[in-house]
Amino acid sequence: MTPSATGREPGGAPETSGAVKKGAADATGAADATDAAPATDSPRATDAWVLPPGLPAPSACEQLRAGDLPIRHPTRDAVDPGGLITALRDARRDLAAIPTGEMVRILGGAAETLTRELGRADVLDIAANGRLSAEMARAVVDGMAPSWTTAALDRLVHAEFPDPRVLDGFAAEARTGEEGGTVADAGARTGDEAAPTRHIRAAGPPVTLHFGAGSVPGVTVTSMIRALLVRSAVLVKPGAGDIALTVRFAWLLHRADPRLARAVAVQYWPGGSPAWDGWERVLLRAADQVVVYGGDAAIEAVRARAPATARLIEHPHRIGVAIIGAEGAGGAVEAGASVAQATARAAALFEQRGCVSTHLVFHLGGKAAAHEFCAALAASLAALETRLPPGPRTPAELSALHQLRGRLAMKGATLRHAPTDESSQPTPPAPDGDASITLWPATSGGWSVVLSPADSFEPTGSRTVWIAPVSNLAELLETLAPLSPVLQTIGLAGIDRDRAASLAEDLFAVGATRIVPLDQVPFPDPDWLHDGARPLRELVRWGELR
Amino acid sequence: MFAIHLDAAQEPGAARDPDAAFNRLALKVHAVQRATNPVLRRYWDAVSDGQPAAWNEIPPVPVRAFRDTPIVTGTAEVVFRTSGTTGGGSGGDSGGGPGDGSGGGTGNRSGGGTGDGSGGGRGNRSGGGTGDGNAGGTGHGIGRGEHHVASLELYRAAAQDNYRQHLFAGAPALSLISLVPNPAVVPDSSLATMAGFIAREPEVRHAAWAFDPERGVDVDAVREAVAAAASVAATATGPTTTEAPPRPASATPPPILLLTTAFALVQLLDALADSPLPLPNGSRIMETGGFKGRTAEIGRPTLYRRVHGTLGVPESHIVNEYGMTEMLSQAYDCVAGQGPPAAERVHRFPPWVRTRALDPADLSPLPAGRPGLLAHFDLANAASVCHLLTEDYGSVTADGGVRLLGRAPGAAVRGCSLAAEAFLRMTGAA
Repeated sequence: MTPSATGREPGGAPETSGAVKKGAADATGAADATDAAPATDSPRATDAWVLPPGLPAPSACEQLRAGDLPIRHPTRDAVDPGGLITALRDARRDLAAIPTGEMVRILGGAAETLTRELGRADVLDIAANGRLSAEMARAVVDGMAPSWTTAALDRLVHAEFPDPRVLDGFAAEARTGEEGGTVADAGARTGDEAAPTRHIRAAGPPVTLHFGAGSVPGVTVTSMIRALLVRSAVLVKPGAGDIALTVRFAWLLHRADPRLARAVAVQYWPGGSPAWDGWERVLLRAADQVVVYGGDAAIEAVRARAPATARLIEHPHRIGVAIIGAEGAGGAVEAGASVAQATARAAALFEQRGCVSTHLVFHLGGKAAAHEFCAALAASLAALETRLPPGPRTPAELSALHQLRGRLAMKGATLRHAPTDESSQPTPPAPDGDASITLWPATSGGWSVVLSPADSFEPTGSRTVWIAPVSNLAELLETLAPLSPVLQTIGLAGIDRDRAASLAEDLFAVGATRIVPLDQVPFPDPDWLHDGARPLRELVRWGELR
Repeated sequence: MFAIHLDAAQEPGAARDPDAAFNRLALKVHAVQRATNPVLRRYWDAVSDGQPAAWNEIPPVPVRAFRDTPIVTGTAEVVFRTSGTTGGGSGGDSGGGPGDGSGGGTGNRSGGGTGDGSGGGRGNRSGGGTGDGNAGGTGHGIGRGEHHVASLELYRAAAQDNYRQHLFAGAPALSLISLVPNPAVVPDSSLATMAGFIAREPEVRHAAWAFDPERGVDVDAVREAVAAAASVAATATGPTTTEAPPRPASATPPPILLLTTAFALVQLLDALADSPLPLPNGSRIMETGGFKGRTAEIGRPTLYRRVHGTLGVPESHIVNEYGMTEMLSQAYDCVAGQGPPAAERVHRFPPWVRTRALDPADLSPLPAGRPGLLAHFDLANAASVCHLLTEDYGSVTADGGVRLLGRAPGAAVRGCSLAAEAFLRMTGAA
């Protein structure tokens, strides 16, 4: 797959070589010329836009580095934002005419091609873009790809719309007692057999604008797929670290079907820059729906500028949590994978930048068991570092890690009860016998394990896992409560099924929306209730015909 | 216990081998700190193996540890506080000026900044601090770092000769205008406290405090002070320096010493953009701190050109000071009136400080010229902790100078996982 659209035809259509040429014609999966060439470790310059055919090519570009990937993006005046939205809106009729089954096949086929054709050079670009190691970039794409396949998308559509015909036109609503009703609301299920059948319809709005998250490859691909499944044209601003994969997927969609080519646009611009504020405002005014991934500031900035008529779908930053029961440290999560290994993987994948990534682990097995678990987790993280090395870290990131480790060591020294101190100064009393902080490793490393009371926790990133011993579930829930606004995924291990069911009620009440076995934390199923919402249903509006 | 001669040259044999003298003093102080501060002892035992044979084997304490733990032996006479910005390099609480003219640079210790962070220098608080042997527990995410200082006189001793040498050169009489807050207003600012020391020097005929922590730079007060200086003859009333005899009264106004953070200086220049305010000949400026997270960042060459254009003070008379709340000694990049172009300057600490650039990956020492994280060993911190790992980036020269490059570069990569800063805001700990 070629990395760059520098040879792209006027109008921003993908060139007819490289990625476009190879795709379906290369059913053998043989590497193309680009990938067959010895890959250098230098990322290739990437054009951070894909525009619908017919639009003029950007008249001027700016260059910058997105992570370690050199990119070009159109200047502010080089693309007319109003014209772009209009072009996408015009594509809506053709997009709506694609039957659901065919749309699933087109999208799934493109995504399967994406993962199949991703060569080493592509992976290096994606890695450089997200400041990941090549091994991690590959693992992330491979982990997310199963939720993009034709079969997975078919499952998603049926989970969301038991009768997917409602996405193609008005369809008779299933009656009470029938399998697979099309509407979840109780109002449709009156139990009145004599009630006239109504016809219902679901569709996304003409254009959905997507603001991607910073540096997690694949987030934007998923967001694009969801909107297209409900026939909403997409304009995507990928996160700065998710440009490489997003433009590759967009090229494949353009290649897959001309109706999609007219309905898919990608453009990167420096988000939050005052210079681009006017540009963003035009888009926000014109788009019908906005999906935004980001921190508080990014979401609030969109809220403040989007018109009341635009529907906002927000995916704020989250903190992943795990709970390990008394039998946790050595218990099997699945064949061959220990809880410690599963925890290490849940924390390390995405370099702990994913909304699902585990940062804080509550250990219910007592302090000695928690200490033992920390040692096992440290060993697992060390082993994982060999298989999935961390990406390059900047001096600022490394500095932050040194400061954190030193801070924790000092806090540990302050809290530790030391009755044998022979100091002439009075030894400060330890506030709590369980309040000490222990850190693995003591010195440098690409990961950290912190055994500490939960109230010392702060999300640190860079594969830092905090283990907080708790003595019972009541204490756990009390400690979790302040995290309620940012909870999403909670991984469970070492907790038997009956106990997990009752615990899940409590965890849901406190804010968790995804409670899964620990080994399933990193990669959600295609039909997961993302941030507590149905991922396709939240994108559509419904119509009824009586 | 801490009656340690700051001037390593006073150590026997120091003239022949200052490094050996420094090493002996450092190990002596370390031994005292180990014996008297159980928290530091446990910290060192936790992060290192065995006893250090040289000062550079003593594990440094990261400056952020000052946010959680009072580090002092005995009773603190004063507690200096940093600006209180939280993580991510979003604002500085250490630092001083960058040497590369790239702007921004090391954030500075807070300094009684305004509500919008327009201070700059070190924050501090006088008196009342009772950090008795780190007895305080840890707080969750304390926003402001605290340096518990056992002796204000020790601070003055560490600072005085250095600022006199770099700021008072060739000026038997001076008028002081301070854009650093008055220590009476912001007693927990270490920078304000140092400004107070300077204001009480005998050469200072008049001091004007022209910065309010709430309102920022008082431009009218600056104008009045300049006018007052112009109308006051340098009426020497007695010996003012050891180097120069008393001078007779003169019609020439005394030069002005302007103490300022870089941020406040930009504020002043903006306010005077349409009405330059030339300072008397020989006037000099001590500026400190960066701009990061506070306002539009500008490069030092640009800043110095604007200073010359508005205040008439040439680059040679603008001195950058580098210091931090957690450290009692400071570094300066030139002597007022003798400064080379900013890009050529190197900061120098007094002889009781050693600085190393450390590899960010593993904290191994880097050779001269290679940039890394800066670690300082300040013997003046005898009552707290001497060896500090900063978040500043720079290199050392072969003769011990420091080239400052600002904060360690490269912001943390973000995804859709909550960052510490937002978390601490959410939990109310920041």
